Amino acid sequence: MKGNKARDDELPSIPEIDKTIHEPARLMIMAHLFVVESADFLFLQRQTGLTWGNLSSHISKLEEAGYVEVTKEFLDKKPHTTLQLTNKGRAAFQEYRQSMKQIFSKLPKHALRI
Amino acid sequence: MEKIDLKKIERKAYTSYHQDGLIDVFAGFIILSSGLWLISDMAWMGWIFWFVAISAYAAAKKTLTVPRIGFVKFAPYRVKALQTIALVVFSLSALLGVVAFMQSEDGGTPLWLLFAIENYMVVIGVSIAASFCVVGFTFRIRRVYAYALLTLIMFVTGHFLYYPLHYYMILLGTLILLFGLAMLIRFIRKYPLSTTGAMGDSGNERQ
Repeated sequence: MKGNKARDDELPSIPEIDKTIHEPARLMIMAHLFVVESADFLFLQRQTGLTWGNLSSHISKLEEAGYVEVTKEFLDKKPHTTLQLTNKGRAAFQEYRQSMKQIFSKLPKHALRI
Repeated sequence: MEKIDLKKIERKAYTSYHQDGLIDVFAGFIILSSGLWLISDMAWMGWIFWFVAISAYAAAKKTLTVPRIGFVKFAPYRVKALQTIALVVFSLSALLGVVAFMQSEDGGTPLWLLFAIENYMVVIGVSIAASFCVVGFTFRIRRVYAYALLTLIMFVTGHFLYYPLHYYMILLGTLILLFGLAMLIRFIRKYPLSTTGAMGDSGNERQ
């Protein structure tokens, strides 16, 4: 047991992965919002290919985490939802990118053999 | 897991938003109307064409595109780049005008201006092609680079054929306008108006 513990200590620590972003659909939403200033629900749905319900539930989770700001308004008497990454969301996405790069950057060459 | 390419995602967003062909219709209309304006020789018409084109573009984007594929506001850095380019071009043009005026005052028309006047077809062709390239870069629309190439080919050929300038303007404008209209028709067919949940609605109100 002691030996195993010593070996574990020598391994580089894997950074904390943000599980809110790590989910593929949410990662896609974050990536699409990251490259624009804001987008409405319909545009995001077209871009990600997610269903209305799926997108809606993921947006709610991102909003709860404080990563996405949801603005609801009426345009020409029709409801309109605009989505925008918050500063916290942008920072979290950048951090997530760095973490993922860090995890795989030290992969030994022989491990890449198929 | 597939690699996430943020540049590709950004380009896809731009391409999607401009797949309606409205920017092509706008550019085609401006070039075509400029050609017609050259025939009619009525300077005031130029401003009317620009006013009509810009108003129609904004209205068409709002009524045709946004209800079908949604609305997106792009990051401002590309528009800022476009503004910087426009400012530089405007400043250089003004500087050239002042230099030309001063040189003309000193001793007749300067040689470089005579050269530009003699090769006006090439100068105009390069200017239009450069404008297309700037639009292509700003809005990440690749087909606009093809328009730039077409413009260069037409105007450089026109330099040797000696037909009047407006022929080329009308032909180029008509070609781009028709292509834009074809894209617009395809876009409207591909994205019919949804009867429910229009205008980028998340639909939470209906739950």
